[in-house]
Amino acid sequence: MAAALVVAYTVMAGRTVGFDLSTFWQVWSNPLWEKFWPVPWDWVLDRHNVLDPLVETFQIAIVATLIGCGLALPVAFAMSPLTAPNRVVLVVSRSIMNVVRAVPDLFWAKLLVTAVGIGAFAGSWALSVFSLAVMVKLFSETVDGADPRPLEAARAAGGRHMPVVRTGVLPTVLPEYVAYGLYVFELNIRASVVLGLVGAGGIGRVVEAQRQYFRFDRVLGVLVLVFVVVFVIEQVSVAVRKRLV
Amino acid sequence: MVAATPPTIEAADPPERPVAPRRAGRRWAAVAVVAVAVAWSISGLEVTMDRLLGAPGDAWDVFRRMVPPAFGEAIDRGVPGKVLESVHIAWIGTLIGAVLSLPLAFLAAGNVAPLWIRTPVRQLFNVIRAVPELILAVILIPITGLGPWAGALAIGVHSVGTLGKWATEAIEGVDPGPLEAVAATGGRWVSGMRWGVLPQVLPVVTSQWLFRFEINVRASAVLGMIGAGGVGSELVSQLVFRNFPAVGAVLAMTIVVVLAIDTASAAVRRRIIRGAVPGAGDDDADRNAAVLADLTGIRTP
Repeated sequence: MAAALVVAYTVMAGRTVGFDLSTFWQVWSNPLWEKFWPVPWDWVLDRHNVLDPLVETFQIAIVATLIGCGLALPVAFAMSPLTAPNRVVLVVSRSIMNVVRAVPDLFWAKLLVTAVGIGAFAGSWALSVFSLAVMVKLFSETVDGADPRPLEAARAAGGRHMPVVRTGVLPTVLPEYVAYGLYVFELNIRASVVLGLVGAGGIGRVVEAQRQYFRFDRVLGVLVLVFVVVFVIEQVSVAVRKRLV
Repeated sequence: MVAATPPTIEAADPPERPVAPRRAGRRWAAVAVVAVAVAWSISGLEVTMDRLLGAPGDAWDVFRRMVPPAFGEAIDRGVPGKVLESVHIAWIGTLIGAVLSLPLAFLAAGNVAPLWIRTPVRQLFNVIRAVPELILAVILIPITGLGPWAGALAIGVHSVGTLGKWATEAIEGVDPGPLEAVAATGGRWVSGMRWGVLPQVLPVVTSQWLFRFEINVRASAVLGMIGAGGVGSELVSQLVFRNFPAVGAVLAMTIVVVLAIDTASAAVRRRIIRGAVPGAGDDDADRNAAVLADLTGIRTP
């Protein structure tokens, strides 16, 4: 019964989507491929064309990681039953973060571009919201699983809420916090590459512009360069994370 | 149990002196590196005090104008259909990813595939994972044309990376007994995979597909923004006209559908895992921890 429903839904969805296996072999004979080649490397490696926007991408990612992860620390503590000051804060913060997470990342970018204007500034804010959502999700589970005994000891000694959390829980979860922060940085580097497609600054704006001129050779060159750089940064970050945890 | 055993006092050795923390210097160095990086980044982002202080107000203004959302207008424009189209795209994309990734995962698993084939397949997964769906869609749209099929294909190809990696890890964790039994009866490699490995990993792999489907619903909503079908195009066009009540309705519908799918999919995943290994899936936190560890490479105790 369930299987039949799934199959029926799949057929219906496939029709709506225009599922078409012939694309898989037509892709290879498509004359458009010639537009991807040869890659104009001297254009790609030019400072003004590509390298400056690429640097801007990383600047967006760095700022957003710091803002997002900084905000995530108090929010994650408010979201964990272990450390929430009271039930109201717990329920309210959980509901808000659920809604924030349900909005796709580039929707945030587009909304903020409309609010504060096109450019890297909007991109930084959008990516900050995205980092906050991811970081809170990852880190609040660490807080949930933290050892409650130091917390109970501090409470038993008569500490008020904030000092109790700071001395009882924060030290035990700090290494994971830093490690997750680095992981969010990797995600942000990847996410900031596409921000420009909706006008939020960075290297994506070059991709979008060249795509509209049908210069797919340039698009391909930019993408290759971006993925080499992103790959190197990720490897460094992964190495640092392994040493932390 | 712990409380029942009386505490024993071991007073034989004098307590060792704790080693003084030596990492204070390194910690300050790390803080300094972060501070310099942030200062350098802010300097590049054309941030003036004026803009910085004005931004929260501007953002709040936009969000305030979305209330109350214009649901009637959105329904007239067929937004619910667009949201469902995004779900269809995500579903077909996930299926494409699943169908392509499962056979590849058998070729990438250390316990069933030889080194010469497993290294290139794993590298293929890594490369695919590094290319976002949006970039794939940018490349695919000139070939397939604008529309949902480009989005489904982009999501399908991108999903191969993560699904393949997760399925590989599931296959590497199987009990070798059934595999040896097939080998002992003279079965071929394919038979070993079909009867020895697949039944063991299928519950886990199915729940991985569902988890990826949840991620893909969000991704397909975004893909519409560059013309690959679904609700994204609706958001963009309403924002261009600065028709904020309609934007609010589009957002609200997207959020409701995303949350509903997350909840339903999580419930199905829990049942699949619980049915497979009695007791193992009773605690959903464990399942989440395993997936998170997969995603991040960080294992929390």
